[in-house]
Amino acid sequence: VKANDGVLTNFEVLNFLRSRGAGKDLTRVIAPIAPSEFKVYDYLEQTAACSQTRESIISFVGKSKQYKLAEAEILNLINIRPSSVVEIDPIVEECDKRMGEGVEELVEMVLQVLPTPPSQMQSDDQVEFNKDDVREGQEVEAS
Amino acid sequence: VPTLHTLPGSAPEITEGYIQMFYLSKIEHTLRLPPHLLNLPVNQAIKGELEGLFLDKVIADLGLCISIYDIHSIDGGFITPGDGASTYTVMFRMIMFRPFVGEVIAAKLKESDREGLKLSLGFFDDIHVPEHLLPMPKQFEPESGNSNQGRWIWEFNGDNYPIDAVDEIRFRVHHVTYPSLPVEQEKASKPFAPMIVTGSLDADGLGPISWWV
Repeated sequence: VKANDGVLTNFEVLNFLRSRGAGKDLTRVIAPIAPSEFKVYDYLEQTAACSQTRESIISFVGKSKQYKLAEAEILNLINIRPSSVVEIDPIVEECDKRMGEGVEELVEMVLQVLPTPPSQMQSDDQVEFNKDDVREGQEVEAS
Repeated sequence: VPTLHTLPGSAPEITEGYIQMFYLSKIEHTLRLPPHLLNLPVNQAIKGELEGLFLDKVIADLGLCISIYDIHSIDGGFITPGDGASTYTVMFRMIMFRPFVGEVIAAKLKESDREGLKLSLGFFDDIHVPEHLLPMPKQFEPESGNSNQGRWIWEFNGDNYPIDAVDEIRFRVHHVTYPSLPVEQEKASKPFAPMIVTGSLDADGLGPISWWV
C-alpha cells in the first residue's frame, strides 16, 4: 500500500458526502448522514471544492508538474484556489526564489483550469461571502 | 473489551508531505452487536455501531473521524456464552481530518482575546492562533476597560487592519498536538483525545481574506 494512497482533496470528500445524498435532502432527516457529517458538508460547500470537478482537478495536477511543486503545495492550491499572486504566497514556499515571474503564469493556470468558486463570482465591491445566497441557489438546483 | 488499532503497513507515515488534510485510514475493530440490533441486516447494524463509536471523535495522531468510507470485511458473529450479543471483527476505512503543517485553511473567527484568536471550521473548533503568531506590528483593542475580550489590529503602512468576524480568515497550520486528557479514563472507554491545531497568520496572503482580495 502506497503511503499517500489514501489522500483526499476537499472535492473528493464533498463528492463522497453528495453521493450519499447530503445536498438533496433539505430536511436533513431522511439522508443517512450524521449531523457531524453535515457540518463537514456545510464547510466544504463554502470552499472552492463546491464547484470543482474530477476532470478539472486531474487537469490541474497534470499542468502543475512543470512548476515543480510539492504534493502538499498542489493540494493546497486545489483546496484554496487562489486567484492572485499574494494568495499564492503562503502556499508556495520561497515563491519568489523558486518561481520568479512564473508565479503569474501559475495564477493564470489556476484561474483557467479550476472553476470559480461562488464567493469569487460576486462583484468586486462585495467581498463578504453570503452563505444564505449560495444555499438558496443550491436548493433551487436540487428541486 | 473492544480493541482499536490500525493495520501494520497501512498506518500513515508521520513525515511532512504524506500527512494530508483529509485522508483514508484503514482500521480493524472488534465490536459487540447488542441483541436489539439483530433484526437489522448485519452490514447496516455494524455501520451504525461504528458511526456511533467513531464519528466526530479524535484518535490521537490519526485525527478527527469524519465518515465511514467503506467496509472491507466482517468476521465473526459468534455469541459468547451468557451474553446475548454477538462479536464481530470489522476491517474498514474512515475519512479522517488531520491538517498538515504548512496547510492553508479558511476558517471563521470564533473568539478573540488577549491570548490570541480561536478559529472554527464548523465541524472542528480547536484552532488556536496565539498572539505571537499574529502579523506584526499589531495592537490589541480591548472591548472595554480591562476586558480580556477584544480585537486585534494589524498596522501596515500607516493603516489599521482589524481582525473581525466579518469574512473568512486564512491561516497556515503551525503544528498539531494531541494532549492526553488529565483525568483517568474508565477501562472500557475508547482512547479518544482532543486535537489542537495551532495556526499562524504571520505571512502575506494570510488573515482575513478582505485584506488581500
